[in-house]
Amino acid sequence: MMRDLTLSDVEQLQAQAGELDEAFQMDEDTFRAFYDRTARALWLYLSRLTGSAPLADDLLQESYYRFLRAARTYESEAHRRNSLFRIATNVARDNRRRVRAAPSVSLDNEEAQPGLRTDPHAADRAARRTDLARAMAHLKPRERAMLWLAYAHGSSHREIAETLGLTAGSVKLLLFRARRKLAGLLGGAALRTRRAGRVGL
Amino acid sequence: MISIDCPREPEALEAACAGTWPDRCDEDLRAHVATCAICGEVVEVARALREDHDGSWRAASVPASGVVWWRAQMRARAEAARAAAKPITFVQGVAAACVVGGAIALAGAAFPWIRAWVASLPAVFPALDAAAADVPALVSLPRWLPLAAIVAVLLAPVAIYLAVTDD
Ligand SMILES: [Zn+2]
Repeated sequence: MMRDLTLSDVEQLQAQAGELDEAFQMDEDTFRAFYDRTARALWLYLSRLTGSAPLADDLLQESYYRFLRAARTYESEAHRRNSLFRIATNVARDNRRRVRAAPSVSLDNEEAQPGLRTDPHAADRAARRTDLARAMAHLKPRERAMLWLAYAHGSSHREIAETLGLTAGSVKLLLFRARRKLAGLLGGAALRTRRAGRVGL
Repeated sequence: MISIDCPREPEALEAACAGTWPDRCDEDLRAHVATCAICGEVVEVARALREDHDGSWRAASVPASGVVWWRAQMRARAEAARAAAKPITFVQGVAAACVVGGAIALAGAAFPWIRAWVASLPAVFPALDAAAADVPALVSLPRWLPLAAIVAVLLAPVAIYLAVTDD
């Protein structure tokens, strides 16, 4: 049964809204602007880190929620952004601990492949991206995160260290090892793709 | 000792990320990358990841900012309500345990057959009876009273557990 709101109900709702605003570290307008600047990059990061687009959808929401609840002040936009990526890294790690399953690397190309028939290079690009997804699946989560941040996202070593909770000095060596590993995997994958192409011909 | 960096690495990375590699970068850099393992790996890995990033960027579909904000608010509200309800549920749980214990005590006082059944318990739980006999204060109390207390003590943690768990 519905009843009309009384004045005290309205006051109570306003008080609750005020408490919630205090519970979040930023107001709605600031959050929405920040979200619009960061969401796509964060979703791509999560999808490559976890190897699953649907999982990235869930973790994206969780990451922004934890970010909003984190009672912190930021020195700059870059600092705020790095904190968000660090929270997302932790969210993905927590999820991994919960699930303890091998990463289900999504080999479906988000590009929806409509251009494959019209663009002669689209098939090559799709094959390369599939090779990359397979190779990334063989890396450790931290290696995937590090490589994505360094080469897709364009983060500096200091930013990577901040995001992944490492010392700046260790990033160089860890990145070198991860890169070498991925290059080796990609080299093997490219060779297999070329062989498959020849067999196909 | 293996070298892990090369002075021309930033240059190679810039060419790979800007899309100028290999056709639109200078011959000197191409010659270097052909012979430098580090720069070769940087170019290969950076190109692959950059291509994946750029190709996925437009296709990446994220919920609208308003939706994410609204969901976060709903969740914060639900969590606040749950947190506020916890102490009440806790008290209710303890009270329920006390009521059950009290009800058993009253039933013991009102119905002789319950007293008779309790009196027969030592045969079932000799250890319990022996323990009670060791405590002089308990011996003077009616037999059903310690039983009621035990039931209340046993039920209280269950009630508390049910009260404080989220699920
Ligand atoms: Zn070099």
